[in-house]
Amino acid sequence: MMSSAQIEIQLIASLAAIACAIPGTFLVLRKMAMISDAISHSILPGIVIGFFITHDLNSPLLILLAAATGIITVILVEYIQKTGLVKEDTAIGLVFPALFSIGVILIAKNANDVHLDVDAVLLGELAFAPFDRFIISDIDLGPKSLWVIGSILIVTIGLLFAFFKELKVSTFDAGLAASLGFSPAIMHYGLMSIASVTTVGAFDAVGAILVVALMIAPAATAYLLTNNLKRMLLYAIGFGVFCAISGYWVAHWLDASIAGSITTMLGIIFLLVYLFAPNKGIIAVLYREKQQRTEVSLLTFLLHLKNHNEEEERHVNHLNEHINWQKVRSKTVLELALKNNMIVVDNNIVSLTEKGNDFTSQAIDYIITNEDAEIEHMKDDFFLFRG
Amino acid sequence: MDFLEYIRLVFTDYTLRTITLGTAILGAVTGMLGSFAVLRKQSLLGDAISHAALPGIAIAFLITGTKDSNVLLLGALISGLIGTFWIRGIITKTHLKSDTALGLILSLFFGFGMLLLTFIQKQPNANQAGLDKYLFGQAATLLESDVWMMATVTGICLIILLLFWKEFKMLLFDADFTKTLGFNTKAIDILITSFIVLAIVLGLQTVGVVLMSAMLLAPAAAARQWTNSLGKMVFLAAIFGALSGVFGTAVSATQNNLSTGPVIVIIASVFVLVSFVFSPSRGLLFKQIRFIKNRRDLKLNKTLAFMYGIAETHENISHPHTVKILNNFQGFTKGTLQKLVHKNYVTLEGNMWSLTKKGFQAASNLYNQQNDDE
Amino acid sequence: MAQKIAVKVDDLTVAYNYKPVLWDIDLEIPEGVLMAIVGPNGAGKSTLIKSILGILKPIAGSVSIYDKPYEKQRQLVAYVPQKGSVDWDFPTTALDVVMMGTYGSLGWIKRPKQKEKKQALEALEKVGMLPFKNRQISQLSGGQQQRIFLARALVQNASIYFMDEPFQGVDATTEIAIINILKELRKAGKTVIVVHHDLQTVPEYFDWVTFLNVKKIATGPVKDIFNDDNLTKTYGINYKVSIQE
Repeated sequence: MMSSAQIEIQLIASLAAIACAIPGTFLVLRKMAMISDAISHSILPGIVIGFFITHDLNSPLLILLAAATGIITVILVEYIQKTGLVKEDTAIGLVFPALFSIGVILIAKNANDVHLDVDAVLLGELAFAPFDRFIISDIDLGPKSLWVIGSILIVTIGLLFAFFKELKVSTFDAGLAASLGFSPAIMHYGLMSIASVTTVGAFDAVGAILVVALMIAPAATAYLLTNNLKRMLLYAIGFGVFCAISGYWVAHWLDASIAGSITTMLGIIFLLVYLFAPNKGIIAVLYREKQQRTEVSLLTFLLHLKNHNEEEERHVNHLNEHINWQKVRSKTVLELALKNNMIVVDNNIVSLTEKGNDFTSQAIDYIITNEDAEIEHMKDDFFLFRG
Repeated sequence: MDFLEYIRLVFTDYTLRTITLGTAILGAVTGMLGSFAVLRKQSLLGDAISHAALPGIAIAFLITGTKDSNVLLLGALISGLIGTFWIRGIITKTHLKSDTALGLILSLFFGFGMLLLTFIQKQPNANQAGLDKYLFGQAATLLESDVWMMATVTGICLIILLLFWKEFKMLLFDADFTKTLGFNTKAIDILITSFIVLAIVLGLQTVGVVLMSAMLLAPAAAARQWTNSLGKMVFLAAIFGALSGVFGTAVSATQNNLSTGPVIVIIASVFVLVSFVFSPSRGLLFKQIRFIKNRRDLKLNKTLAFMYGIAETHENISHPHTVKILNNFQGFTKGTLQKLVHKNYVTLEGNMWSLTKKGFQAASNLYNQQNDDE
Repeated sequence: MAQKIAVKVDDLTVAYNYKPVLWDIDLEIPEGVLMAIVGPNGAGKSTLIKSILGILKPIAGSVSIYDKPYEKQRQLVAYVPQKGSVDWDFPTTALDVVMMGTYGSLGWIKRPKQKEKKQALEALEKVGMLPFKNRQISQLSGGQQQRIFLARALVQNASIYFMDEPFQGVDATTEIAIINILKELRKAGKTVIVVHHDLQTVPEYFDWVTFLNVKKIATGPVKDIFNDDNLTKTYGINYKVSIQE
């Protein structure tokens, strides 16, 4: 039988997973995943200073202060990038270790006043969350963390529904968004603010670095399975919650850190999807690459036949000598072409059949005049416009 | 322990000397290799690699049960390399972008490492204490053998660097061109990457997995501001790195309860900040000063050009004109006029001004230059 | 006219992500021509020279330089990449970049010496950049950067020069300076192959031209084949628009 503390921990972890998955999805799509890493580190001094002021890790003021540090990080990174003194990524890599170090030192210097320790910073204190109760006039309303993360989640969901269209457009086409009158800057900083607040809220539960895992891993896993924004959000939430709960039980079983095992579950799920996802998994990709390699070789071969009437250019041996393929591949290609009735071999001289000729002409047309087909292709990759 | 006493101890105390030497060497080698990481735009790869090293340390301990740092660092090296290759796999084989791949590997490996560490802590085996020094680093735990290890790797690294300097430089600047000259770019690339990974792993004991990447970036980013030569940049980065290491260790050793990593990072960050602001050629301060000066020069030139326009209409270029005419011109102030007089471009007599020969020459050069630009 | 063939491309096919971008290209470039490769965006112009130079790996076909495989003839070939392909904020000087042209003949490990430096200075002189030899490369204008790249190729002292859009984003003075150097190279019997954008200047600058759009459309002397027919075949119905640009 689960104790109520156990249920509460799983509830907090699940809510944190959902609250992280929503901004995480957009961060992954906007290629800003590392910004969440930066924020999760650099809010530490904000949290410590906030704690000196409020003496309560769950105080809304502390959360706002710490979230402000997150925003400052983003602004600082963007400022350094704009000076052009260092290249893009370096700015992130310079800012967050500095701020994080300040936080760690502040904690160490005030170890007596701050009940945060380094482990708590990195791992959070999910196991203890049920002991810090939210009590109003003697009525126990449950753990404070639950209230904090719950409120953040409600706000996030509210904003997501209110601004879904704007977020979607500004994520996939900042130019279009601007022309429709949604300021990309507002969207950008809005998202950064949500990410910061969520990071702070979840920080207490799962710690600095594991917040990043909850933001990035479910979204990245979902992105390997779908190209549809709504589905991606749902999958990410699903993965997050599943890993939160299963991770809790793994930790229970191993008697180890809950946050660590939630992350490990996220890692296992990502690995599985990375390997086996139907279209974008590594096995599918490798298989497709092999197939395409043969097909392109086939096309090349057919085109060569079409281009050359001279017999010596169409001799079977020419495949090896002149087109410069390894023997194995030229044999596969020849067999494939024969199987498909694209060619006939007469006296070791290869010629196109009528079908082969038609196919080749069409393929050339497609490749050369396919500006439209090309866009069609890109649309498939960029999917979300079709919602 | 106060600071002066510390300095004295560095020269007399064996342990302290070992530690100081160790952090200095570490700072030098990470600064050196960090320059390459920064120029290859792989700044955050170091962050991912160092985090990815954590499970390797834990697993090496679980398998061998030893705390010998060489064994643990071998584990770190292996899992760091696995992380690196996985990142490459994600970027090349899926549509996930590099930032996502980095963040994923960084957080997932680190989380797994933390799971293992907490698992180890709960084991009834008494021998596990001290693994968490790999989180933020503890220079005080450096042994002489560790320092020898660092020195050896740094020595090899230095030799390789000197031998292949020309190849490294060219690959960093223009990889395609390097390929056309017949150099095996993949080999050079692997050489650089392996040394970066090695340097990260070496630093874990001193700086820790969480902040190791800053050791790679900060000295290099600071050094870049002071020079436009790759050689000097690498050299300066090594100096900055070594100084950060030494000062950082000194501070953390003289204070209670401070891990080395954060202190070293703060000191390295101060180098960066100072370099960003005060570097003479690229620094923000001088850039601002130059900007203001340029604006002033522009004003001056405009006034001179206006005068030239008037003087040109007269046969005698030094024909005097009243100052009043200039009032029609917007950029004109008494200050600019004084400056022109000071430069001997203009002479003033009462309310009349006239261009000197020198002034006329300068103004006509200005005029031609403008035409050239267009 | 029994001209030697400098570059011979056979059945070259190149694909990006398994989409063919160059198809079965056969091309013979005679020695001593100044040749433009023209074609619309995405026609595979840069891809063609990059595959000839071994930067990209073709899926089929072969390249020979003076009748020997390219790998054995590298020292006969010089390359000027697109200006935008490198980071100009890299901490190095103009002279340093030009010196890189000597690295190929030096081989692994050996350092450039006084002799190489002299060659580099001469090349800088030739492109009119000697006064800028110690400038950091980011402090050069676009035209000056292009001239540095050209100087680096001159230092290679090759027989065949491949240039990827050397006139892109350069000022008029540089354009004239570059084309004069190219014509000088041709006079010295070198072969120069240039990926070129501006159709209007083709007849003025070049004597040989290759039309390319995934397939090779035509190749030959400018005076014979630079005509509306080939332009239409290459650019489709829109080619007139590109000429006006």
